[in-house]
Amino acid sequence: MAGVTLTDVVKQYSDVTAVDHMNLDIRDGEFVTLVGPSGCGKSTTMETIAGLTTVTSGHVHIGDREVTNLPPKDRGIAMVFQNIALFPHMDVYENISFGLRLRKYDKDEIQRRVEHAAEVVQLEGMLKRQPDELSGGQRQRVAIARAIVRNPDVFLMDEPLANLDAKLRVHMRTELQRLHKQLETTIIYVTHDQAEAMTMSDRIAVIDDGQLQQIDPPLTCYNEPANLFVAGFIGSPSMNFVEGEVTAGGFESPRFALSFDPADYGLSPGQSVTLGVRPEDVYREADTAGVTDPSAPVPMRTDVLEPMGDEIFVHLRFGEADETMDDPDAGDRLLMSVDPDADVAEDTDVSVLLDRSRVHLFDTDSEEALVHGLSASATASTPDPEEARGD
Amino acid sequence: MSTDDNPFDGPDKELKRGPFQQWVENSIKNPQQVYRAMLYVVTIFFVVTTLFPFYWLLVLALTPGDRISQAGLAPAGFNPEIFLTIFEQVPFLRYMFNSIFLALTTTIIVLLLASLAGYVFGRLEFRGRGPLMLLVLAISYFPPAAFFLPLWDLFNGNVAIFGISSPSLYNTPGSMLLPFSALFMPLSIFILTTFYAQIPDGLEDAARIEGTTRLGALFRIIVPLSAPGVATAGVLTFIAVYNEFFFSFLMTDGRAQNWAPIVGGILQFQRAGQFQTTYNAMAAASIIAVLPVTILVVVAQEKIVSGLTSGALKE
Repeated sequence: MAGVTLTDVVKQYSDVTAVDHMNLDIRDGEFVTLVGPSGCGKSTTMETIAGLTTVTSGHVHIGDREVTNLPPKDRGIAMVFQNIALFPHMDVYENISFGLRLRKYDKDEIQRRVEHAAEVVQLEGMLKRQPDELSGGQRQRVAIARAIVRNPDVFLMDEPLANLDAKLRVHMRTELQRLHKQLETTIIYVTHDQAEAMTMSDRIAVIDDGQLQQIDPPLTCYNEPANLFVAGFIGSPSMNFVEGEVTAGGFESPRFALSFDPADYGLSPGQSVTLGVRPEDVYREADTAGVTDPSAPVPMRTDVLEPMGDEIFVHLRFGEADETMDDPDAGDRLLMSVDPDADVAEDTDVSVLLDRSRVHLFDTDSEEALVHGLSASATASTPDPEEARGD
Repeated sequence: MSTDDNPFDGPDKELKRGPFQQWVENSIKNPQQVYRAMLYVVTIFFVVTTLFPFYWLLVLALTPGDRISQAGLAPAGFNPEIFLTIFEQVPFLRYMFNSIFLALTTTIIVLLLASLAGYVFGRLEFRGRGPLMLLVLAISYFPPAAFFLPLWDLFNGNVAIFGISSPSLYNTPGSMLLPFSALFMPLSIFILTTFYAQIPDGLEDAARIEGTTRLGALFRIIVPLSAPGVATAGVLTFIAVYNEFFFSFLMTDGRAQNWAPIVGGILQFQRAGQFQTTYNAMAAASIIAVLPVTILVVVAQEKIVSGLTSGALKE
């Protein structure tokens, strides 16, 4: 049992910086997910923790031991790999007991531990099978059993579910959560699938371009993303972004305007900002019942619908499809989620508004978050310039 | 359907042909038959050219020594005791032991070192890997004879480095093990490199996480999973050393107690007869000398073939 601390870790390959001054403080017993797009450095970060790759500079601590220069075997870690990596020439029992046999454990002790681990991952009765006789899910369980049998301080999991089919993946997800509850060991989990990150983690570390973007509980990452990257990466489908500018009266873009007093949020007129709003915070004027603080309605046109069963995603655009004006960054396109039984059709006019308490403002240049949610009070009644045009 | 004997209506009527024309006709209808015939011809050709020398050895061996000039396609006489006599005339068992000892030891040395080299060339990225690999392979293109004189000097204590003269290895196994290992290493390095490169990185990573060093991962995971390649490299090295003539002949004085291999033993029979060369004994000794390699190839044949091809085909 131990936490993991990365201090200013840099991993430089000849031409790229895979990990760029990474500082991470993972607490004992925590389930932390490293998430980011492919090639963002999340797997390299994990490899530096595992010791499979040496850091260019910086320090890695596991518990209160400095392990920066220790080989993987002396770090008290276990790892589950994306390609599962069972030893094909050993049966399940030999695979699980490999680490114990290397450490010269007593035969009876090995037997006891392997049986216990097999029980935890529900593999009893399969110990004599060869890996190629197992299904994908069973192999992954063997890999997990191989990891837990040594009682490591820290579990590292590098996209362990990526090679499983969708249904099994969801199943294994809950099993991993159950396992974490049962073992109470620190788990560091790498994935590019943000659904896995959201559902399993205590905290999510969002990584892009080798740099840590945000490390917070899933809902904080969702509701208060630290910057444009996190806002766009967390949440599916992605957040809508509208580029605009702060004016004396609030936010303005060619299509949208929100009125507020910039001084209340420490903004100054003339600043380039990007408005972010999630599809579920975009409403038709007709269903604003639950919205306490709606923005001024804007006329748009529905494009295509994506019925998901529990909701419908509506792609919106301004007027008829017009190539010259069709700039998604400027808010010419918007994604809205509505109830599955809502009365929507393709290519119809619809008046759209935003939940002001759920919009985000980001600095367009630095991409840092400036405002999460505009307060209800103040300027709600002031007519927007857009409002006149809208109705 | 007509029951008339109409040639255009009924089943094809056979023309009258001779046996050769009949065969040609069949071949056109069924070309597989021709291919098979060609295969037999070629196979028989190779079998005869490779096996006839062995048959000829057998003929010579069975012919009593004084009638050796009368041996034709069949032995002139029948003298199977020669296969026992050869062990009495010279210490032939010791010669065989020497050969097998040299071949086995070289194989072990080569497999160990080539495994390390194969790991480095196959699994690590470093500057100059390509040129270094080429250099290693280039050694195998050298004629071994080019190394003989310098090695002869070296192994006879004639070379002094910093005032320490080189060890005297003439008439010891070292004088053969060293050049054999060096000469046959590149082939094994090449074979093992291609095999080790194909083992997924994840397996090595998993082994290191589980508690091995890199070296441990090599010998516990990578080598066992490359068994066909290791077997191929081992068998090829063993056969090459066992069949080696040049250094084997020159690095010892040809006496069994001085680690001379089988070639020394066979040549001893030149002097074993009183007045003439005992060809029949030499032939018998040659047949016995071939046996270990024959057995090895028959046993390992499948592994060698799969090893040589799967190296190229595996994903």
